[in-house]
Amino acid sequence: MGKPTVGIFGLTGCAGDQLAILNCEDELLDLVAFIDIRDFLMGSSGNDTGCALDVALVEGAVLTNRDAEMLRAIRQRSGLLVALGTCAVWGGVAALDRNADRARLLEEIYGETGHGYDSMPARALHELVKVDLRITGCPIEKDQFLAAIAGLLNGDLPVYPDYALCTECRMRENNCLLIERGEVCCGPLTVAGCGARCPELRIACIGCRGPLDDANPNSMLEMLEKKGIGRRQVEDKLRTFAPIGARQ
Amino acid sequence: MSTIVIDHLARVEGHGGITVELEGDAVKNVRFDVFEGARLLEGLVRGRRYDEIAPIVSRICSICSPAHSLTSLKATENALGVQVSPQTEFLRELLLRGESIQSHALHLFFLAVPDYLDRPSAIAVAAEHPAAVMLGLRLKRLGNLIQETIGGRAIHPVNAVPGGFGRVPRIDQLIAIRGALIEAIPDADAMLDLIASLPDAGFCHTPTAYAALHSPDSDRYYAGDQLMIASNGDRATVPAADYRSLTNEKPVAHSHAKHSTFHGSPFMVGSLARLTVNPGRLTERSATAAGRLKLSIPSDNPMDNNKAQAVELVNDLGLALDMVERLIHDGVKDEGCVPVTPRAGTGVGVTEAPRGLLVHSYTYDEQGCVVSADVITPTAMNAASLEQHLRKTVEQSAERDEPTLKKKLQMIARAYDPCISCSVHLIRR
Repeated sequence: MGKPTVGIFGLTGCAGDQLAILNCEDELLDLVAFIDIRDFLMGSSGNDTGCALDVALVEGAVLTNRDAEMLRAIRQRSGLLVALGTCAVWGGVAALDRNADRARLLEEIYGETGHGYDSMPARALHELVKVDLRITGCPIEKDQFLAAIAGLLNGDLPVYPDYALCTECRMRENNCLLIERGEVCCGPLTVAGCGARCPELRIACIGCRGPLDDANPNSMLEMLEKKGIGRRQVEDKLRTFAPIGARQ
Repeated sequence: MSTIVIDHLARVEGHGGITVELEGDAVKNVRFDVFEGARLLEGLVRGRRYDEIAPIVSRICSICSPAHSLTSLKATENALGVQVSPQTEFLRELLLRGESIQSHALHLFFLAVPDYLDRPSAIAVAAEHPAAVMLGLRLKRLGNLIQETIGGRAIHPVNAVPGGFGRVPRIDQLIAIRGALIEAIPDADAMLDLIASLPDAGFCHTPTAYAALHSPDSDRYYAGDQLMIASNGDRATVPAADYRSLTNEKPVAHSHAKHSTFHGSPFMVGSLARLTVNPGRLTERSATAAGRLKLSIPSDNPMDNNKAQAVELVNDLGLALDMVERLIHDGVKDEGCVPVTPRAGTGVGVTEAPRGLLVHSYTYDEQGCVVSADVITPTAMNAASLEQHLRKTVEQSAERDEPTLKKKLQMIARAYDPCISCSVHLIRR
């Protein structure tokens, strides 16, 4: 059997998940020995833009018609489509207010020229096409990406944590920022997998990995209200990386 | 009339293209097209609290995320009247140096060098020159080690917050960085040999104005609050708060990046600009490196930005080692963050991102929530200058066949190391 053919693509975003792949400095040359990267615009000027792909890794959110067309074309030519990073999985920071008046914002930022721009509210990949695997994170964690590639090479998909960040935080024996310091820490609602990186640094979680499947934002809102923290402030924080109430 | 179109520029960050319209051999029009979607983040941060802004705007761009994060904090702290400790400033400087090492190694080895060797990618280069690519990977990893240690994460750092850091680095972490930097001394040398061995790329010559953060007697990415522009031997300084007199952006229809000009002329920012504007950056170490690469300053060749990055890379590795030695010697205090009291005000933050000058400006209300935000990125500032150099490249090319012209145009664009995600995030007028 030949090497699986892979494409790496970026829609609208910061390219951080593609960079996270390039940041696998110790594994990169081994990786390209196992997979055949055919289409990777950020890394190569010699791409096969039409070939069938076993796996497409797609980062970023859909903000333009161009993004939407590109995503549909990728889906068409790919066996498995992997959503790479919080923007692809949830919409990410560009989706932090999908109800904002975009025409007004475009005009304020770009003047009259803005009227002609191809721009729409951010959407996650699964809102347009079928997604076979979600690797969340802003950016993705290196080891979870490598586990996905190893899994795909062996014909299975990796299993990622489906529990709250608090579990990892407690295992690291951190003091609780939410209960002990009354800070708005998104740990209880955010999916684990980063090793509780921020609380480990005494910084409250901002939810950049997106919500748990069974997150219960209302109970957190009530708890923080009792501590005197306004609902608006908490809601703002919770919708920074994923629209509130969004489901996969 | 004929048109040369580079539909989707490869080996750069983000989505952009190049269009050149020709009438015979005369260049009628040149466009650096940016079709990255507009995320409107400057609009979406309005109403958000001062401690939420840096993590949101760092998402403008991954490669420049430490610079966006720290420039945002600098602007916010200026607006709220917060003075951070000298130790915080020192650690922030080190974080940006780590960023620059990672970014320059990525750009030189993965994005720029394949052109000189006529290969489509670093992976293709690795098939024949594995040692060269492994060298690039080691230098890149070292930059990431510094970013992870100081910033808490290589991409979108989490540890830098208003008033200081969540946690300061431990001595054993600093000793590990020192070890890696000492090991990299021969790598810096090998990198210079590699860049010096590349074929000459002197196909576009024209005098250019350069702008950078003014740091007269030192080599800084973070500290400083004066902008300087150098043009034809003349120099002008602009206080950071008056950045608009320098950037003077105007929106254009073909691009989501506005164009900057100074007194009507485009200017270039980035490595070459930093070395040109601040002779203080040419230390003995970097001057020797520049000599080995036959880089003379001022330069009239935009391709020299690649050489300038190599010079900075050597200098950054040396200066990072000096800085880490100093931290190990003096110790790092767990001093906590300076408390922040919300108040109404406007603040500007200016730093040098790997690709050049970066400006953030915010106005806050009494509750410490954003009223308006301005972000002007190096790639946006460079857009007008890049178009000028693309035009000159076509005008000065003796070969008129499309493949050669396309290759030259792409090499010029990549020499600017454009970060197209960054460029779309522009000012609220």
